[in-house]
Amino acid sequence: MKFSKLFLVALTGAVFFVSCNSDDDKAPQLPLGAYDNGFLVLNQGNFLAGNSEVTYISNDFATQQNEIFSTVNPTTLGDTGQDIGFNDEKAFIVLNGSNSIQVVNRYTFEMLATITTGLSNPRYIAFANGKGYVTNWGDGGVATDDYVAVLDLTSYAVTATIPVVEGPERIIEEDNKLYVAHQGGYGYGNSVSVISASSNTVTSTIAVGDVPNSLEIENGVLYVLCAGKASWTNDETPGALHQINLNGNQNTSYAFPAGQHPSNLVIEDNKMYYTVDSDIFVKTTNATLPTQPLFSTTSQGVYGVYSFAVENDKIFVGDAGDYSSNGKVYIYSLTGSLEKEYTVGVTPAGFYFNE
Amino acid sequence: MTFKKLFLVSIFFACQFALAQNDSIRTLEVVEISDLQLKNYSNSQSVQKLNDSIINKNQSSLTSLLNYNTVIYFKENGLGMVSSPSFRGTTAQQTAVIWNGININSQLNGQTDFNTLTTRNFDNITVRAGGGSSIYGSSAIGGSIHLNNNLSFRNHFDNELRLNYGSFNTFGGNYKVDVSDGKFAVQASISRNSSDNDYEYLDTDRKNENGQFYNTSVNVVAGYKLNDSNIFKIYSQVFDSERHFSGTINAVSKSKYQDVNTRNMLEWIGLYSKFTSKLKVAFISENYKYFENAQADFFTHGKAETAIAKYDLAFDLTENISINSIFEYNQTKGFGSDIQETTREIGAGTLLFKHSVSDKFLYEVSVRKELTNTYESPVLFSLGTNYKVASFYTVKINASRNFRIPTFNDLYWQGSGNADLNPESSYQAEIGNEFRYKELTFSATGYYIKIDDMLRWSPGTGGIWTPNNVAKVETYGAEGYLNWNKNFGKNTIDFNASYAYTISKDEKLDKQLIYVPYHKLTSSASYSFGNFTAYYQYLFNGEVFTSSDNAYTLDGYSVSNIGVNYTFFKTANLGFEVLNLWNENYQITLNRPLPGRNYSVNLTFNF
Repeated sequence: MKFSKLFLVALTGAVFFVSCNSDDDKAPQLPLGAYDNGFLVLNQGNFLAGNSEVTYISNDFATQQNEIFSTVNPTTLGDTGQDIGFNDEKAFIVLNGSNSIQVVNRYTFEMLATITTGLSNPRYIAFANGKGYVTNWGDGGVATDDYVAVLDLTSYAVTATIPVVEGPERIIEEDNKLYVAHQGGYGYGNSVSVISASSNTVTSTIAVGDVPNSLEIENGVLYVLCAGKASWTNDETPGALHQINLNGNQNTSYAFPAGQHPSNLVIEDNKMYYTVDSDIFVKTTNATLPTQPLFSTTSQGVYGVYSFAVENDKIFVGDAGDYSSNGKVYIYSLTGSLEKEYTVGVTPAGFYFNE
Repeated sequence: MTFKKLFLVSIFFACQFALAQNDSIRTLEVVEISDLQLKNYSNSQSVQKLNDSIINKNQSSLTSLLNYNTVIYFKENGLGMVSSPSFRGTTAQQTAVIWNGININSQLNGQTDFNTLTTRNFDNITVRAGGGSSIYGSSAIGGSIHLNNNLSFRNHFDNELRLNYGSFNTFGGNYKVDVSDGKFAVQASISRNSSDNDYEYLDTDRKNENGQFYNTSVNVVAGYKLNDSNIFKIYSQVFDSERHFSGTINAVSKSKYQDVNTRNMLEWIGLYSKFTSKLKVAFISENYKYFENAQADFFTHGKAETAIAKYDLAFDLTENISINSIFEYNQTKGFGSDIQETTREIGAGTLLFKHSVSDKFLYEVSVRKELTNTYESPVLFSLGTNYKVASFYTVKINASRNFRIPTFNDLYWQGSGNADLNPESSYQAEIGNEFRYKELTFSATGYYIKIDDMLRWSPGTGGIWTPNNVAKVETYGAEGYLNWNKNFGKNTIDFNASYAYTISKDEKLDKQLIYVPYHKLTSSASYSFGNFTAYYQYLFNGEVFTSSDNAYTLDGYSVSNIGVNYTFFKTANLGFEVLNLWNENYQITLNRPLPGRNYSVNLTFNF
């Protein structure tokens, strides 16, 4: 028992304890100057904790720097980083909790502007027709106030808002059109809105399965991955992968087995990658859905793949761990052998390749 | 139902005892205070009583009172916002709040928000450190906080009005009337607190936006002495508050939160020779509404209603041996926008035994078992002694087993709740040393707590967060209290200090729990000369970790308050206070700065 020792501490400490609020912070790190030829990891942080940050890792895996935003800039990034979009030299970092966008030089990471008006629960960003398009949930509990904000990229003002149905999440651009997946916000969506960047209006709506969480366009085909409703909703629906021919040809859908809820669709070199819980799957175009995963991340202790990318013949997995501690990034070969492992910031939520 | 049987048995016994000879000699406390065990069965633990003079010297929130006067650490989400205690390194759910003998921790989230209780509604607030589950049930692991109203049947008529006003348009008002003719007694009070709470964040150009709050509470205790043996009392409290939840340094919030809590209890006290019987029936309710957008109509809500029947029978076997049995039946119904409507029934039987072997030595034992259909309940116990080694030195030793039951949120939150949870349970021991020499009192207590089956919410397959009994925590430390009080002529000097050293480790990670400082120190000094009093308060909280891997920390801080009071016409008192005297820029919770130097004036009338 250490009681005797503790008593001594208490006896002496209680009366004579002096506040030694020492500043034993680590030596400050210096900006690298250039954050290209590598990738950025957006660490979401915790909602309302204001601890979002960005990690840089070089393509040769030799260099890693955490907290690059506050290393370069005299302030902190903000609350709950959700997405980063690149446009020319600029990176737009969408901060859900702060209801803001930090605009930085994507290579030096120096702050250029902070956009704080016109956003309400902002989620993801895409660019078209010289404008930024940002999905917004509005109040999470309200289904009728969701919109896409149109952002002027020089004045950084929200110049128009396009009302959409509930829960606009991921957004991508193709041929001056924007495709918005309605994952559903606090509810469950089942559609993709198509927005014309010339008229800033919703021109059509594509019905998909429940909870579309990721989408990509390749060779005129829109691929939408839907998770389906989870079992705890008491209205479980199966996941689905839709292939929608944008020039009007035959569409194809693949239904996932009951209880399987996929996410994180990535198309790379004619292969479709997605994840189910801790498992990584790969599907060849036009083949049926694989029954066996390519590999599983469970040996790294990953509960569920929090963020995912496939690039430069590598598979990138972000693991949020217990969401309080620093997260991990694992880099695998295309066959699933673990090649690199990094400790990044809290809740790694996305990979952005800064070539 | 077994509970019903037990209840019937105990009622039957009560009637028998009623026939026994009425001795009519009882301490006043039996009549005045509802929570008898706090006085009678807390001899082997550290108990700190904060009476109304200390209560009045502090801000009206329970957070502020306990933060500046005890070793309990508070994590407050900004001034006036949600406030959770960590007592001896445990969690907020492992600290019980006992209102006139009834456990009032939320049935929904298992903890009490210490900013939803106004201290001025109570006559004394007692901090009972260490295990108390064998008497008070769930959550009394780190310790328990007892909020007591004393109802006096002495013939009297007293009124008190207290008003304070300070920076950020902060207003506090409290009126209390206390009256008795010897047969009837009533104590009633009404309190109102409000603040714009729009203080500047020091060293920035930003303010604490959307932090305004108000609360109103009404408190009534009434009693009627039917005869020397039978006394009826009613306790009633309503608390209504609305708080806008302020944001952080990087994110402005627009949400607000409303609480309405009611507590009602009817008590029949029977004094029969060697028996004291207390039959209590209580109904307590909690109700919250959360508005994500304060300007909009949409909200989520939760509600819990608890009915309690409790029969408490104390028996003095001899002059030196006391026995006390308590039977309790408790039914809680929880419902709301996010939990499945569920009713939970708990029955409990407690037996307490105290033997004063001599003037110098006593031991006490208590055992409790709860029965419920929801989870397995362990046998809870407490064993303790109090030994007066010398006229100036007393040693107290206590060992106990305690628990914290899963809450309605843990069990029934839609999509996440886990109906297969067990209670968190602890084994713990402590040794207390108390020294008294002339005007000096000093106590030092060392403790060790081992907590098993700690509930942790973590993401499972599919990223869905669910609670599980996975964690084990080991907590140990030492705490000390010092008091020195000296009168010479018209001068009085009073000095108090407390210090806690706390290690609270997650066994698997081998890391200190987040928001548990290694060091906490408080001290206060006051000097009175005739009608004039001046005082100084000091609080130091050491560095805390904000992530479970201990990779991120929040700096420690020191805050001081200073105040003066002047009493005139013997019935009025005027006070002036400077809070955060040294304008310390500090955060209790990450990125939520607290106010810099601010001021408050107060005026009290007694008539």
